[in-house]
Amino acid sequence: MKKFFENIYEMTSFSLRFFKELPLPPYEAQEFVKHVENFGLRSFPLVSVIGILMGLILALQTRPTLERFGAESFLPAMVAISVVRELGPVITALVVAGRVSSGIGAEIGSMRVTEQIEALEVSSIDPYRFLVVPRIAAGIIALPLLTAYADLLSIIGAYAVTFISGGTSWQLYASSVISSLTVADIVPGLAKTFIFGYIIAAVGSYFGFNAYGGTTSVGKAATASVVFASFLILITDLLAVKVGILIFE
Amino acid sequence: MNDKSLPAIYITNLEKEFYGHRVLSGLNLSVSEGETFTILGKSGTGKSVTLKCIVGLLLPDKGEIFVKSKPVNPKDHKTINEIRKGIGFLFQGGALYDSMSVRENLTFNLRRHRKISIDEANEKAEHYLTLVGLANAMDKMPSELSGGMSKRAALARALITEPEIVLYDEPTTGLDPITSVEISRLISEMHNQLKVTAIVVTHDILCASIVSNRAGVLDGGVLKYTGTLNELAAVDDPDVAGFFKRAF
Repeated sequence: MKKFFENIYEMTSFSLRFFKELPLPPYEAQEFVKHVENFGLRSFPLVSVIGILMGLILALQTRPTLERFGAESFLPAMVAISVVRELGPVITALVVAGRVSSGIGAEIGSMRVTEQIEALEVSSIDPYRFLVVPRIAAGIIALPLLTAYADLLSIIGAYAVTFISGGTSWQLYASSVISSLTVADIVPGLAKTFIFGYIIAAVGSYFGFNAYGGTTSVGKAATASVVFASFLILITDLLAVKVGILIFE
Repeated sequence: MNDKSLPAIYITNLEKEFYGHRVLSGLNLSVSEGETFTILGKSGTGKSVTLKCIVGLLLPDKGEIFVKSKPVNPKDHKTINEIRKGIGFLFQGGALYDSMSVRENLTFNLRRHRKISIDEANEKAEHYLTLVGLANAMDKMPSELSGGMSKRAALARALITEPEIVLYDEPTTGLDPITSVEISRLISEMHNQLKVTAIVVTHDILCASIVSNRAGVLDGGVLKYTGTLNELAAVDDPDVAGFFKRAF
């Protein structure tokens, strides 16, 4: 138990160091662009599939229930609110955590066990600034964009079900979606994705950085990164929901 | 203590332990300007730990280290970074950055610390890779290199910044005897050309005999014997003698 809390303390200090280092030069612009590409662009195919499936499943599941109450016209609003407020941010974050956090954990972990991190230090290059800061910054920028994209695809996916079942026009569906969404849905939904992006990159970097003890520690770092990042995403979401309710309702 | 008359590398009473296991227990060492000193010793005797303390990768429990008369203190970031800029380090496994090509591995440090153009950096990289016989592997990734090629590339990377001091951690470990001799000769040639001060950590006596001016045997956390290799070979100690017998 003591070890667990020590880990939490170390992980927190490690993650918070980002805010201290971010404004300091040298700025690793090239690394940042590389990691935005890895975090964002390379996650596009996976997020596309997940986004469409999320909309399809949500519409398929809820349409019969809404029909039972004669409320199928609420389907666009129901899908839009659920996706924008909750499902889009959380599911996108969990999927990206599985792909990116483990990747960061394994990549930095293998750099640790092959002494590449020490090589950076010996070259007077701060490994935290070079390896961690650009990754976290990329996570903070890329995840909100990925989430907005996944939200849009989910709404389109749900339209496919609506169209096949009832032949609703796209104009009607879209105007229903737009009119149902308020600032209180969009802002909390997107705001938390900045934190999720931060968590995904910071947790992966932390476990990679502490992967001492040979090649098995690289595998352990990758696994721990996904498990911890997913856990923290859900805990943060719980808190964000509560804060969102307090602020907007 | 900040005496300008100190040797290039000066270590006094260095102690380091890990999880209750004492690795270094009062090590003293002084390496003069332009000298190549070899630390011999069995595995686990603290040879690499000594090197890592010199560059501030490890914080000693006790003792003092001076490099070019500057005290090594990993917590003093400004001074340690200044010291590190004058040191080249060859890691045991090469430690080439695997996300960069061989050329980028060499130009990376150069371009960060010196304001030189990419063309100049490439020219230097080409020069050093030619010296180590890797001119045709410039655009290869580290994963495409053999063990010997990786060591050569890492050697070129350690030397490209033209450091005054070079530290070699097991430069021939894991290599076949022919490549080991080639690498050892390469190190020796580089030292003659570049006039660097060096510490070589190895348990390969053949390598030591090619590269070093002086050597010491690390045992029990201290340098038990120091001298030329011939002097060490004559030491009446079964551990040291065994070392030489196994090698030749």
